[in-house]
Amino acid sequence: MAKFTAKPKDLIQIDFKNPKTGWMDTPVEIREHMFCHPAKAKELETVGFPNIHEWRPQDENWNLPEGWKETVLNGIKERLQKYRSFHVFMDICVRCGACADKCHFYLGTGDPKNMPVLRAELLRSIYRKYFTASGKILGKTAGARELTEDVLKEIWYYYYQCTECRRCSVFCPYGIDQAEITMIGRELTNLLGLQLGWIGGPVANCYMKGNHLGLEPHTIKSNIEMMLDDIETITGIRINPTFNRKGAEILFVTPSGDLFAMPGIYTAMGYLMLFHELGLDYTWSTYASEGGNFGFFSSNEMAKRLNSKIYAEAKRLGVKWVLGGECGHMWRVLHQYMDTWNGPADFLEVPKSPITGTVFDNAKSAKMTHISEFTADLIKHGKLKLDKSRNDHLKVTFHDSCNTARGMGMFEEPRYIIKNVCNHFYEMPENTIREKTFCCGSGTGLNASENMELRMRGGLPRANAVKYVHEQHGVNMLANVCAIDRATLSASMDYWVPGVGVAGISELVGNALVMEGEKERTADLRGETLPGKEGAE
Amino acid sequence: MAVIEYAGGKVNIDDSGYLVNIDDWNEQVACALAEREGVDELTKERMDILKFIREYYKKYNFFPILNAVCKNVHQPKNCINEKFMDPLTAWKLAGLPQPGEDIINIVKYGQTPT
Repeated sequence: MAKFTAKPKDLIQIDFKNPKTGWMDTPVEIREHMFCHPAKAKELETVGFPNIHEWRPQDENWNLPEGWKETVLNGIKERLQKYRSFHVFMDICVRCGACADKCHFYLGTGDPKNMPVLRAELLRSIYRKYFTASGKILGKTAGARELTEDVLKEIWYYYYQCTECRRCSVFCPYGIDQAEITMIGRELTNLLGLQLGWIGGPVANCYMKGNHLGLEPHTIKSNIEMMLDDIETITGIRINPTFNRKGAEILFVTPSGDLFAMPGIYTAMGYLMLFHELGLDYTWSTYASEGGNFGFFSSNEMAKRLNSKIYAEAKRLGVKWVLGGECGHMWRVLHQYMDTWNGPADFLEVPKSPITGTVFDNAKSAKMTHISEFTADLIKHGKLKLDKSRNDHLKVTFHDSCNTARGMGMFEEPRYIIKNVCNHFYEMPENTIREKTFCCGSGTGLNASENMELRMRGGLPRANAVKYVHEQHGVNMLANVCAIDRATLSASMDYWVPGVGVAGISELVGNALVMEGEKERTADLRGETLPGKEGAE
Repeated sequence: MAVIEYAGGKVNIDDSGYLVNIDDWNEQVACALAEREGVDELTKERMDILKFIREYYKKYNFFPILNAVCKNVHQPKNCINEKFMDPLTAWKLAGLPQPGEDIINIVKYGQTPT
């Protein structure tokens, strides 16, 4: 495949003209750099996904399994019966178009099939044809169409151009949740073995080794040891965290990117420093070593299987509650699905901060609290000594992750933390933050490399808002509380807004945190010399 | 599958230029692989990086954190990018087996799933 080389000045020339033909008569064009490669058979076998076969999205023949059409229609039928929400969302859209221009993929591509209303229509048209009287009788007039191979390809192509960010749902007068429709659409493609490598691989890794990266227990420990070395260099303090320790009060679970990637490792260094300073009775786990859940992007059943590790480990270790790191979709799963799938976790207690005594009632059922809730509470109670000036080299803005914002309603805590650890904080425009935040452009397992055009197009609306504060206020750091963001925004910033870095909030906390017995800080967690400290070493 | 020759003999590489047998590696093999990849002379600094990556992989079944490589071989941060341009080239010259597409994303682009 040719390398993606389009320049920003060319990619930003977006054609919003609609095709001359109606959408049903406009065939799908599967373009390279806009889709991810298929999963390997071995990965899908690992978790027992069905209908594994060789295929390539760009090929005419997808080698679909015999009886594929019945598989899809039966799949729809089962899900209409199982998920009331899906059934309602198939029926109630009045096609008002309020959602049309709210999708980052539509704004970045100009492709009408990326309007959420039309993305849903791709599947609704099948629903109408086979499950409604009007569709069966009136056909196209009633918005119904046959399920053909081309229609299936179209659904596949566009349901992997949706990041389930749910921004469109905020504007829908009926509250139609496009994410739930996309989730069903993806489940249907998964039934036919049409899974992505960048989803199937991490799912298999997580199932076999506990995390998306496939880090083995001694590797996790080794990577954290490396972070501890760096912390010691910067602060003079040696930290000794524990792993898989029975009887700890708290189990800490974070996305595995924090244990390997840049800038995720700096976020993890922030966690380690904070917990050490608090003297927190906690443990890492090398079994439940993934907060994220790529199963969520393939099927609810797979997500449930991967998610079950967290409670199983909490039970095995005998902890009281679970603290979770900075991640986006992890929190949609934990906040809205975990308790139903794998609960009730009646062997755990309602999370209570051992430092402040605060009881996190909002986590009463799932028994998991977000690190930002935990940290904001510490700051509110004056339990942390913070030197904001250590972040003075940063002009920070905050990207609300779709899932922590729209999925769990956490708007204030991250901002409260940033304002307490940084002197320079600037908000992006109002319609691009909080519940109206724009997606990073690469969530739901779309953060591979071969679909870079899609990622950069989808990332444009977010990048555009960052560009605004970059130019207005000199913002040079995009803070967030999501591992996918840390992995993806770095690429979209380099492309659209060079000069803006990406950081997890806990990294900024680690910079500002005054630790007992520390030496004078001359560098931040990235090892960059702090302004005014040149030559101090 | 192809065969490349080096000062001390011959080794098999796959179609993408990765060593077929990880244990076939030695410094001369690394030099032959480097020549094939268009990498100039393998200086001591470069060789130290390759040896560290290799030992780490054999022990931990994963690519090391980039910063950790540089720190362990006592070289400045970004040593891999400076010396090899691309961590995946370092992977190949270190004689590690052909990685899957997900590992390529992770190593070459620093892109992790979460």
